Amino acid sequence: MSFEDWFRQDRLPHIYCAGCGNGTIINCTLAAVDSMGWKKEDTVFVSGIGCSSRAPGYIVTDSLHTTHGRALAFATGVKMANPKLHVVVFTGDGDLAAIGGNHFIHACRRNIDLTVVCMNNQIYGMTGGQGSPTTPRGCISTTTPYGSTEPAFDLSELAIAAGANYVARWTSYHVKELERAVKTGLETPGFSFIEVLVQCPTNFGRRNKFRQVADQIEYIKAHSLLKAKRDRLLEQGERIPEDMYVVGELMRRSRPAMGLAPTEVKP
Amino acid sequence: MKLAIDETRCKGCNLCTKVCPYRIFKEGKHPNLRGIVVPELDRPERCTNCRLRHLYGRQLCGVCQLTCPDQAIHWVEEEPYEPHKVAIEY
Ligand SMILES: Cc1ncc(C[n+]2csc(CCOP(=O)(O)OP(=O)(O)O)c2C)c(N)n1
Ligand code: SF4
Ligand code: SF4
Ligand code: SF4
Ligand SMILES: [Mg+2]
Repeated sequence: MSFEDWFRQDRLPHIYCAGCGNGTIINCTLAAVDSMGWKKEDTVFVSGIGCSSRAPGYIVTDSLHTTHGRALAFATGVKMANPKLHVVVFTGDGDLAAIGGNHFIHACRRNIDLTVVCMNNQIYGMTGGQGSPTTPRGCISTTTPYGSTEPAFDLSELAIAAGANYVARWTSYHVKELERAVKTGLETPGFSFIEVLVQCPTNFGRRNKFRQVADQIEYIKAHSLLKAKRDRLLEQGERIPEDMYVVGELMRRSRPAMGLAPTEVKP
Repeated sequence: MKLAIDETRCKGCNLCTKVCPYRIFKEGKHPNLRGIVVPELDRPERCTNCRLRHLYGRQLCGVCQLTCPDQAIHWVEEEPYEPHKVAIEY
């Protein structure tokens, strides 16, 4: 079996713009899910609202496309009602960190056994390119026409501080690493958070001097800093440039978790 | 195995031209019936997965397939080579 079998073939091609990285992330997530050997009947995909959140609609399993920001609230309900189900959440930066911010920190605090894949395109893609809590300083959006002046949220740091068991960050360029990180997230009991930096050529790239999709991919690639390298730089007392994104496995621990299937609960 | 792009899905983003270590995907030149410039394949038989998949019994490389946001890249089984009987008319 391959990840292609998890797609609803009758629904493809999907509605994402040409070059939108969301499709890449769905591929990687489904490849990881496929390698777990789970049954389709036991797997549930949940999402909120946004371009990213349309993902479950293209997958053959049961899924919930809920209200804006409430993906984690619904996913919590599914998991607590039937801990035997494998629950994977697709969400966007606006969905997770703006309107859904509180659900996010409390799901991390409770450490519920979910795997959350956040497609962070640093913009509200679906509604026409408004600034989101992760829009970097200086970037143009329809609500920040002179460049954003606010500091951006670091979602992975937030998840670590709030108590998630597994946290990793990759980009839509690092497909193999991303697949492996999602797999580790699926295997880890407790809350697993995988943040993926992704290009939105239509609403982010176009306004921020990325004329071609590939230009933005090149930028993302050049501005990814491996965690190991970051640690080495810190050890040597060097400064980390502000515009770099630290990628890699950022946290792995075993805090007590909620919603574990009966066999997984340790005595 | 043979590499193929599904023209009904490809949106011409050219991301595949950036990721293949053999640079098998080349930017296309002509729009197809849907108005999309689908990349061309440059000697696709060089692809690792095409050559070695059956030998190893698992997917190899596959970076282009994972990267393609539109699920347009796949592999098809090739027909086994059949010697043709040539009828020569005198
Ligand atoms: C309660 C509510 N408020 C606002 C909206 C409008 N809305 C729809 S999608 C969206 C932003 C989505 O941004 P993000 O989660 O980053 O997803 P993206 O489209 O970027 O993938 C907003 C504000 C809504 N649908 N519901
Ligand atoms: S608006 Fe942006 S995020 Fe939404 S489908 Fe288009 S490129 Fe993707
Ligand atoms: S599988 Fe690898 S070698 Fe083969 S075409 Fe794709 S990227 Fe190139
Ligand atoms: S990555 Fe996929 S959609 Fe984009 S040009 Fe290549 S085959 Fe077409
Ligand atoms: Mg977004």
